[in-house]
Amino acid sequence: MIVTVAEQWVEAPLRRFVDDARVLFALLIHPSGQVLGQFGFTRSLDVMAACALAAAINASGSALGKEMDSAPFGELHHGGALRQVFLARVEAPRGDLVLLSAFDRTTSLGLVRIYFEELRTALAAVAPAQESNPALAGNFEQELNRSLAALFGRAIPHEVPTG
Amino acid sequence: MSSPYVAPLAAVSRHRGIIGAMVVDAQDDIIVDATVRHGIKASTVAALGASIYRKARQSAGAAGLGDTAFLRMEAEHGHIFAAGRGGLVLIALAESSVNVGIVRLEMIRAAEGLA
Repeated sequence: MIVTVAEQWVEAPLRRFVDDARVLFALLIHPSGQVLGQFGFTRSLDVMAACALAAAINASGSALGKEMDSAPFGELHHGGALRQVFLARVEAPRGDLVLLSAFDRTTSLGLVRIYFEELRTALAAVAPAQESNPALAGNFEQELNRSLAALFGRAIPHEVPTG
Repeated sequence: MSSPYVAPLAAVSRHRGIIGAMVVDAQDDIIVDATVRHGIKASTVAALGASIYRKARQSAGAAGLGDTAFLRMEAEHGHIFAAGRGGLVLIALAESSVNVGIVRLEMIRAAEGLA
């Protein structure tokens, strides 16, 4: 099982979630779309697309929840013929995160939800108290590329200040 | 509006030593209806219990033993029972002192009413 992370503190909880819940894919991101960790993806392009879509779905769900229920929806489940998607928000001390996971009949929605609760608790316990990266910094694109490079083992050099 | 599963849940819950009963979707492992003593993590018990029951069915099928009518898990301080029908699983939790024979009979009978 290969879990890759852009931030080390998410590795153990994410690895345990993947191991226990038996999901096919898992992606932990900032609501802005910045990736923190992933399991199951083999190409950075796939991760980029999944991050963007997950962030968009989360934003839509939150807005719809506020409209209908005065609060953002916490979880979203989409059942497909063979695979299902579970998307949920994780409240952490340094700000909300979003988990996107896909699974098949090897596991079930009930099990994924149980282990998601454990992931949520574990992340809250190990999350650094201070925000190390703002959700949408001015150098967001560069940070995103750096995260993807870290996930897929490609080095992207830090920008050297000029002048 | 009352759930159609009130009767099977009541039939199982009325026995001495039973501390919870739930009807669970066998595919999603999500509770459909339940009556459980306060303090029990019902959704966790339901998901793991239904998952174990599903695997027990697969195991019995693979062994050529046919369908699984009833499953009992004995823990240090009690039992978890499961009996399925169609797409639903009836799960009951009981103290160690429960009469296993009566509960087994009642579970199988109640599970037939789930379909």
